[in-house]
Amino acid sequence: MTDATFSSRAITKRPIDWWRWSGRVFLVFLLLFTVLPMVWMVLTSIKTQFAAMQYPPQWWPAEPTLQNYARLLDPSNSVGQEFLRYFWNSFYVALTTTVIGVVVAVPAAYAFSRFRFPGRTFLFFSVLLRNMFPAVVFLMPLFLLMRWLGLVNTHGSLILTYLTFGLPLSIWLLKGFYDNIPIQLEQAARIDGATRFQAFILIVMPLSSPGIIATSIFSFIGAWNEYVYAYTFLSKQESMTLPVGIQRFFTEFATDWPGLMAATFLMSVPVVVLFLVLQKYFVRALTEGAVKN
Amino acid sequence: MSTVTGQAAFAGDPAVSPRRAGLLRRIVNHRADYLYVLPAIVVMLVVIGYPIYYTIELSLFKTPPNLQMKDKIFVGLDNYVTILRSASFRDVTLNTLIWTAGSTLFAFLLGLGAALSLHREFMGRGVLRALLLIPYVVSAVAASYVWKWLYHSDFGVIGALAVQFQLSDRPINFLDNLHSVLPSLIVVNIWKEFSFAMIMLMAGLQTVPDQLLRAAQVDGANAWQRFWHVTFPHLKSVSMVTVLLLMVANFNSFIIPWIMTGGGPAGASDIWITQIYNLAFGRQRYGVASAYSVILFIVMMTLGYFYVRALTRGDEARAG
Repeated sequence: MTDATFSSRAITKRPIDWWRWSGRVFLVFLLLFTVLPMVWMVLTSIKTQFAAMQYPPQWWPAEPTLQNYARLLDPSNSVGQEFLRYFWNSFYVALTTTVIGVVVAVPAAYAFSRFRFPGRTFLFFSVLLRNMFPAVVFLMPLFLLMRWLGLVNTHGSLILTYLTFGLPLSIWLLKGFYDNIPIQLEQAARIDGATRFQAFILIVMPLSSPGIIATSIFSFIGAWNEYVYAYTFLSKQESMTLPVGIQRFFTEFATDWPGLMAATFLMSVPVVVLFLVLQKYFVRALTEGAVKN
Repeated sequence: MSTVTGQAAFAGDPAVSPRRAGLLRRIVNHRADYLYVLPAIVVMLVVIGYPIYYTIELSLFKTPPNLQMKDKIFVGLDNYVTILRSASFRDVTLNTLIWTAGSTLFAFLLGLGAALSLHREFMGRGVLRALLLIPYVVSAVAASYVWKWLYHSDFGVIGALAVQFQLSDRPINFLDNLHSVLPSLIVVNIWKEFSFAMIMLMAGLQTVPDQLLRAAQVDGANAWQRFWHVTFPHLKSVSMVTVLLLMVANFNSFIIPWIMTGGGPAGASDIWITQIYNLAFGRQRYGVASAYSVILFIVMMTLGYFYVRALTRGDEARAG
């Protein structure tokens, strides 16, 4: 303790800590780099089409308006109808993927964490290596597969695909959480007469809920943001998800930039809110596994 | 579920499951354990195993453009030869390397700087970290549109700012210029992913023992020496994993170049992935696209090998 106070005093006594100052300057730079594009997106979204297309630009909108948002969220006009439909599709696909994904990943992760069965390492690495494969490589065969299964233009094709591609990461994340739950807890339950399944449901599941939350956020955000498969599998307008729909929508009118900015803003709201609320879990999930303590 | 198997596996006790037992016997003994993994395996076999097999198969065929795969003609390795001989292959590969290396390097450096600056506790640190992470969370589609607007050749705010500060006499055309298009896209990519590196390295920094840093300080090491000789060696394995994950993500990134330029102008921002997509879904040359995919696949597997090695080093040490 004395050591600590001594050294921190030593730091504060120094005249100027250049490293600390350069760190601060750097952070300000990064903050501007990160935030300014988002600020400009929001500023553009509250301009009229006319105000956005000016040179030099209006740095601050002269007549801020919410008409772009109102148009997108109003179900009584066709633009709003389309947008809300894409929104709902995205939500439906992301939620279904997340729920099924967790149900499948939980037992698998538990097995990888607890059992030592032959082929475990091999299976595990094949699970892990999936992270390496580019979506585009799978696009063509999956497209043919989906056509054969009659799933093209259905949300089923997306859910099945996202599920598979989300699973390796989900399993990997969850395994990290199970590794941290002491085996002794289960053993105690088993001694008290619980079956393995009961021990799993009653002891392990509740303890791993942070892991399940983290994994769910990850797969929800991943599914919500996914573009490549949705872009290829869905050609019917009524089944499109937001990332694809948004594009169709606005290339028709070529350059409705304020409208497009409003749409990207609305599209980002759910994931950003989810992230901000559950930040702790998100960060933990992101680093879990890569950093060993 | 058999109790014996359960208990044997339960403790992970090596003494109970002797190495000597035959593989088959061990598999039979552990049959119940596979049930837990089965759902995941089945889903993945269908959606991952089959496509891999099919891609490799298609890469050896000349495929008809109408997707009637029963009409395909076996051509051996011709598709591979076509790719390697094609004029664009070298340029696209060079673009891919620049894109991957540039994005990875700068995202990592910015992330490292951010992690080091954010390591010390100060007011607003949590808020700052959250703000910096937002680009990583939002969809790449949203990011691409926003940046496309920022780069807009007539009304883009970056060009206008450049004029304002007299760096240029007229708005800059970032995305239609052969030389500026790739760096411009790389900036977007860095914007999107540097905070991933930041988060990973922040977690890594927590493993650096404070006592060591203090000891070094007492011994008279300056800030740079403390970083280079104490902090950085502790970050080595995290950095490895971070760089590899970034590399893989960048190698595979499709959305930013696809939405912002579609590989143009004149292929100046075409990378392997966009090229493959164009070949398959633009020109309907599935065979050639598949062969391209297989080549990409091999590169990824190589990276994957290092990834797994970097990742499991700690795992094995812990498992003993």
